[in-house]
Amino acid sequence: MDAICLEAVSVDFDGRFRLDDIDWVIEPGQHWLVTGANGSGKSALAAALAGVGERVSGRWSGVPERVALVSYERQAELIEAERRKDDADILDVISHGTPVREIIDAVCRDHELANELVDRLGLRPLVDRAFRKLSTGETRKVMLIGALTSQPDLLVLDEPFDGLDHDSLAWLQEYLRVLATTVPMVIVLNRFDEVPEFITHVAYVDDGHLPHRVERSDEPAMADLRRLLHLTTSDLDVPKADPADRLPALDPDEPLVRITDASIRYAENTVFEHLDWTIEPNQHWQLSGPNGSGKTGLLSLITGDHPQCYVNDIFVFGFQRGTGESIWQIKQYIGYVSTALQWEYRVGTGLRNVIISGFFDSIGLYSKSTDTQRAIADEWLALLGMSERADEPFNSLSFGDRRLVLIARAMVKHPPLLILDEPCLGLDDMNRQLVLALIERICASNETAVLYVNHRSQDAIRGIDNHLTLTSDPAGQCCVVQHVRCP
Amino acid sequence: MANYFNTLPLREQLAELGKCRFMHLDEFTEGVDALKGRKIVVIGCGAQGLNQGLNLRDSGLDVSYTLRAEAIEQQRQSWKNATENGFTVGTYEELLPTADVVLNLTPDKQHSSVVDTIMPLMKHGACLSYSHGFNIVEEGMQIREDLTVIMVAPKCPGSEVRAEYVRGFGVPTLIAVHEDNDPNGEGLALAKAYAVGTGGHKAGVLMSSFIAEVKSDLMGEQTILCGMLQTGSLLCFDKMIEEGIDAGYASKLIQYGWETVTEALKYGGVTNMMDRLSNPAKIRAFDLAEQMKDIMRPLYWKHQDDIMTGTFSSGMMDDWANDDAKLLGWRADTAETAFEKTPAGDVEISEQEYFDNGILMVAMVKAGVELAFETMTSAGIVADSAYYESLHETPLIANTIARKKLYEMNATISDTAEYGCYLYNHACVPLLGEFMKGISTDVIGKGLDLSDTGVDNARLIEVNAAIRSHPVEAIGAELRGYMADMKQIV
Repeated sequence: MDAICLEAVSVDFDGRFRLDDIDWVIEPGQHWLVTGANGSGKSALAAALAGVGERVSGRWSGVPERVALVSYERQAELIEAERRKDDADILDVISHGTPVREIIDAVCRDHELANELVDRLGLRPLVDRAFRKLSTGETRKVMLIGALTSQPDLLVLDEPFDGLDHDSLAWLQEYLRVLATTVPMVIVLNRFDEVPEFITHVAYVDDGHLPHRVERSDEPAMADLRRLLHLTTSDLDVPKADPADRLPALDPDEPLVRITDASIRYAENTVFEHLDWTIEPNQHWQLSGPNGSGKTGLLSLITGDHPQCYVNDIFVFGFQRGTGESIWQIKQYIGYVSTALQWEYRVGTGLRNVIISGFFDSIGLYSKSTDTQRAIADEWLALLGMSERADEPFNSLSFGDRRLVLIARAMVKHPPLLILDEPCLGLDDMNRQLVLALIERICASNETAVLYVNHRSQDAIRGIDNHLTLTSDPAGQCCVVQHVRCP
Repeated sequence: MANYFNTLPLREQLAELGKCRFMHLDEFTEGVDALKGRKIVVIGCGAQGLNQGLNLRDSGLDVSYTLRAEAIEQQRQSWKNATENGFTVGTYEELLPTADVVLNLTPDKQHSSVVDTIMPLMKHGACLSYSHGFNIVEEGMQIREDLTVIMVAPKCPGSEVRAEYVRGFGVPTLIAVHEDNDPNGEGLALAKAYAVGTGGHKAGVLMSSFIAEVKSDLMGEQTILCGMLQTGSLLCFDKMIEEGIDAGYASKLIQYGWETVTEALKYGGVTNMMDRLSNPAKIRAFDLAEQMKDIMRPLYWKHQDDIMTGTFSSGMMDDWANDDAKLLGWRADTAETAFEKTPAGDVEISEQEYFDNGILMVAMVKAGVELAFETMTSAGIVADSAYYESLHETPLIANTIARKKLYEMNATISDTAEYGCYLYNHACVPLLGEFMKGISTDVIGKGLDLSDTGVDNARLIEVNAAIRSHPVEAIGAELRGYMADMKQIV
């Protein structure tokens, strides 16, 4: 068998879904796992190998003639086809539907083996029954038998272990292990704990793209991939806030932030002036602008970290700044993550404590924590897939993992406003996706307004639709503000 | 003006020196209430003035700055500091008559003239706060009877006062009330609220007296904190050059070595610092420290005695009167030393290597900390004070050397500390001359050349017991314990 090569391939699926710009090489002797979040396109990618979808561009070579595909979609198609036969009212006869035996025979090239498998999977009593009368698990078995006995050159199995009873599962896993010595396989799974031993490579699909192809023996890359998959697929919810730690309620009719005619000025220069900005509850914003345009300065007017917040007209979380409020009264409503914070956060404390410190808006933990706070921190660690590492020192973590922990720290109290100042800065591709995946989950949880600062357009976050752009004027001195609101 | 301390009878002197109590967090439940709505005016906008003001304002208090008219007219740095940070700035005449609390954060040597100028402008019953008691105790400044006089002294450089506050913590802070000036009995409440406003209550507040603060502060800064580090830097560097160690390496080992080895003090006192050494190196450092303690003990006693009698302060005030001639001369000399002029080399030195190749530096820190502590406590200063003014502050000062050598240290500390540091250095360098002749690179620069790191059990037990049983270790463990309750991360 030749290598299967996909080069910049795009595949359209009836206009409903599209795989874009896929680069993928499957060498002889390799067995691939395809994984990704729900809706990412992993099933589409697998099905494309079996000829499903319309190839619209790219080069494509080495895909063998006989590709056997077992998937829910294929299963649904078959059942749908059977139902249509039944609906055919041209003949006024009662249709009994196609019997299981015929369904298998249609693709089978080894009848002796088919007989054996029918017995092995306990389908013998059902071979003469109509395919569409079978249960989901049973139709799945029928399809497996068809595929396994079709002497394929490539076997594509989409979630093959789903819905199988314990004995059948054990048998199938063993059978595939043996078969893997002769037939290359592509298996779609959304969990890593069922990955068969013989899998040599992992493909990670995201939003119709194939951003990561990882060799299984590359342990660090596999660990990142596992975390990414965990974050994008785990059904753990974003942990709840601490019921004992309710923030003083905000007036729902007031904006979270209202900045009027603001400026930041130093003796030598004006960073920006005449800036008006209002952030309403639950409103997500992206803030962008070139270096030096004052993005971080603007943010720190909100957080109270910029001393000129006292000479500007700033209303935040019910407080007009400079009227006797303390910054801790302001900060309690804000979760904050930035590279600068990460540099500041040079402490040897454990991950759990770092997350708990978010309840106190402190860098380091200086207050006694409650059992509830500890439990919530542990839930966050579970969401991040770091449960076993709760007591590991923060500064022993990788750069990207530290960023994830700091985002959890910022979110732990469910602040009305989450400020992410270039949260992807300094992260590699995989870690960037990890961070974005976490932020998307937070945006979706919908009780926090997210204020997101970044340069890179490819780091856009789904769900953020308000944009504020700071632009330098030609003199490069003062900056004016452009207000763009996308639909 | 007469030295205030010297006017007191002995029993009162001892009682005042012995004042120092660690306050618990639950003594601060009223927060900043005592200062809420009161108008706070800060005099001076240097590192302490600016950073304390930033903290107080961020705690919800009303803070403005008053500067001399010339500083405002000429838009000097202090004016820029205050205005760029969005503070109201005004002249003494504009702001002081309505001020409820005036924070005097000017340098020591200006206190007399500043206080003389502002006192007539202050309203009846207001509060005057110091961050150092020199003016009251050593110069004997008499404050108007209707004014409350307090002291709030964060035990860290101004930049750290701010940095720790922003982290949600604070720095250890000493507070005191001048008993002669507490007409309304509100001094303590105001001092506590001020400490809360700067975040100090989270890191630990020591309730002390003006006298105990001055006499322990002067002693610590002159000897172990600045003096010993300066003398040690110069001696160790010259020794390494003499022995042929690469100058860049020697410069780096010292510049960053003090910070690295004293970082270990923060976590577990002298014991932990010594435990970072191998067993043979530890025994070696112990022996060197014992020798140095014997040599330097009379010098530490002399410094403490001169501080107690007022000899030190009167000598320094003479120099003030003489336009700081001595101070400026000594400062210039320091800038010309070989260590100061040799930049740190571009060599990698691991954290452990600073210990292994800096055994003599570890010994100097141990000797200096223990001697300063022993001398202070034997002079009637309580152990808590003596701990803060010796061991506790050593890493903070070492950090300034790491930044920019002795220049940075001397620029950061007060002129008073700098003056005392030079006095110590001039006496200590020759004092250790003979001792240094017996030193070679095995204890500074290269480390012990050992194929066998074995030691005699009995000797090791003896040395460990001696290190661990020193009284600075007992009080240190207790105070760090309080700190750890509040601050899990050093």
